[in-house]
Amino acid sequence: MDQFLTELKEKFRNSDDLFLQQEVILDVPVSFVGFKTLIDVTKTRTSLQKYIETAILSQKTIGELLNELGEIKEKDLEEAVSSIMTGKLLIVIKNHRKFVVIEPVPKRLSRAIELPTNENVLQGALSSFNEDIETNIGLIRKQINSSNIRSESFSVGPEQKTKLSMVYFDGQVDKKLVEKIRSMLDKNQDREINNLQDLAKTLGFSGWSVISRICTTELPSETVPFLRKGRVALFVDRYPFALILPSFLWDMFALENDRNYPIILMLSIRTVRVIGILVTLILPALYVALVAVNPEVLRIELALSVAQSREAIPYPALVEILLMLIILELIIEATIRLPSTIGPTITMVGGIILGQAVVEAKLVSTLLIIILAATTIANSTLVGIQNSLAVRFFKYVMVLLASIYGILGILGGIVLISAYLASIETFGISYLHMNYEKEGTKYG
Amino acid sequence: MDRSFHVVLMYLLIHLGLIFFLYPNDIISSSDEGHWMPIMIGFLVHFVFLWIYMKGLSFFPKKNIIDIYSEIGKGISTFFLLPVFIYLLFVDIIGVRAYSEIITIIFLSNTPSWAIIVLLLFISAFLASKGAEVIFRTGIILALVFFPIIFFVLIASFQNIDWYYLFPLIDDDFHFITSPYYLKSFSAFIGGFLFLGFVTPYLAYNRKKVLTAAMLLIPFFLLAVYIPVLTFGRSTASTFLFPYVMTVDSTYINWLMFDRVTMFFILCLITFIMLQVSLVLWMAYQIMNHWIPHKPVYNVLALAIGIFITSVMIIDWKTVEKLLWLNSFLRFYVIFTVPLSIYFIGRRREGRG
Repeated sequence: MDQFLTELKEKFRNSDDLFLQQEVILDVPVSFVGFKTLIDVTKTRTSLQKYIETAILSQKTIGELLNELGEIKEKDLEEAVSSIMTGKLLIVIKNHRKFVVIEPVPKRLSRAIELPTNENVLQGALSSFNEDIETNIGLIRKQINSSNIRSESFSVGPEQKTKLSMVYFDGQVDKKLVEKIRSMLDKNQDREINNLQDLAKTLGFSGWSVISRICTTELPSETVPFLRKGRVALFVDRYPFALILPSFLWDMFALENDRNYPIILMLSIRTVRVIGILVTLILPALYVALVAVNPEVLRIELALSVAQSREAIPYPALVEILLMLIILELIIEATIRLPSTIGPTITMVGGIILGQAVVEAKLVSTLLIIILAATTIANSTLVGIQNSLAVRFFKYVMVLLASIYGILGILGGIVLISAYLASIETFGISYLHMNYEKEGTKYG
Repeated sequence: MDRSFHVVLMYLLIHLGLIFFLYPNDIISSSDEGHWMPIMIGFLVHFVFLWIYMKGLSFFPKKNIIDIYSEIGKGISTFFLLPVFIYLLFVDIIGVRAYSEIITIIFLSNTPSWAIIVLLLFISAFLASKGAEVIFRTGIILALVFFPIIFFVLIASFQNIDWYYLFPLIDDDFHFITSPYYLKSFSAFIGGFLFLGFVTPYLAYNRKKVLTAAMLLIPFFLLAVYIPVLTFGRSTASTFLFPYVMTVDSTYINWLMFDRVTMFFILCLITFIMLQVSLVLWMAYQIMNHWIPHKPVYNVLALAIGIFITSVMIIDWKTVEKLLWLNSFLRFYVIFTVPLSIYFIGRRREGRG
């Protein structure tokens, strides 16, 4: 047997989906090599057959035919392996160590373009990204139709190569930003990218930051305005999101889709989101502060009724609120994990039955239940799940500070969180930019 | 890039933090009538020195005062910077201590003041270690969140005023100038703008805009003094330690669920104080870094621990007041020498060039 083929086979030992078919094209013995799982073999062969037939009619040699199909390569085992891995079909000419890489008819492994699953769209384009990186870039090109859209491909990882694409709007984007991302990706070629944490490390961000430096969206209609405003979108193969760099605080409150409404309505919607973050951060902390530390701030009638609602509750406000907050987190986590058919049951059990029972058992006050419900609802007004998670986390910092320092703790917490947000920089661009412009990047 | 907005906002925030606590009592105690005169004289001093300072700095684009002084020699730089450094530390120690005391007096009577100092210092040290730009950006968020509350309270505090107390308008013997209270009141006028000489390498700003912002402060200076005077009358107002806080405490708003609006007003100002403390800490760190270079985290931490220990050692409010009085000498010294020296060094260099 051919030595080259033996080497190839050796590389893919125990891969039963590798096929190796002996063929004769124009009287020359060749082998087709590829993965059955990635290539639609029948269709590929049918289309190849057409080429062969025309070659016979015009009396071409095998060399000419193969040249037509793709570039002839020699001896390069590494390249042969990586081409097979990425789903290409190899035609190996026997005993010559020569092969041609051709683009086969692929098996359909990606879903078609569908509705977004995590972001709801009201009055806007509905198509969302899917797993296939090329489709995603195609969606961008379809959305914006400008020759200034650039897309650069990278493949990162020592063993397992992950395809990455950086898409940006030439002329709008800051060259330095693109340069920095490119150099980070080039520098960290040997890192594996399996998730966003890996990607963050590859780009040189700390993995411990509460706020995500990468803004994700699954909508082309959101991504394109980002590009137009000079941001960079990264696409990772098998990851149905556009990763927008850098991300800003304002992204928590503004959706491009809001611009489909009249300006006044848009502003009111965004105000609602700002109120949402304030309520999430302040309300639980305020409850703890007013009940446990500074009850004199409340109007006396109100203070009395609060005290009354807490009458038989045996433990301090902090324990009371933490207890309920944690149960709430469990409910949220459970509804995500469960199949959507059981989800509503949990909501009912958690929300109605548990809420009612816990009050009647005098474990927590009715006021607290109201506050928790308001907080959870308010938290969900924020754009982007990673943002609402971060705010959910900050809420606990505020509650703890409030239980020690009362209202001073709340204000101190706001300063602390503001300071933290202000200290975040992505490639030298502050997280607090409202309107990111080109010269925003510093440090050359 | 022009960052005037950041600088102007910080300038306003710091002064708002200074104006509403001790300042009204100092002015009211220093004069029996025509309070606008001491206020305006103080403001004039503020404005003139602000102008001289910024004019002097404008001779040295992109340089802070440490660079300027070290340009002319090591001995001179130490001669000028050492008092500034001590002054800055003093400001932080007294500031942290005084405000923790104020917080204890006004609403956290059960919390020991060291715990409050820990909170104030922790937040300030965190900010200071992140550098000037982070402090300024934080200032913007805080302004956005807290300015509405402050304006609301300011308007609400007009509730019980009696315009009759405005008279007499003229104080003709100018005896307030020699009053120790009046000298103390200068803590609100001067010392707040020292930071302008430290941020020049990081944030460029427009001098005119800062001067305009200074004009914006006049109504606040006047309001802080006149609202208590118009509400209680001069003789009653002068008996309060924090006249403005008392005035706000006496307002009652029907539809609000909170009984004490003061709390929110004071706490908003306290957050501005935190910013000021962190900025001062950062300035002190800059000078310290000039002498002993280290990472910001270690230097700021060392300073913060030093400030904590010293401020905890101060026993009571009386000592705080004594220190405030002692500090005013240092303050006058610093505020006269720094702007003037910068101005003359700049002038001389200009002449040679």
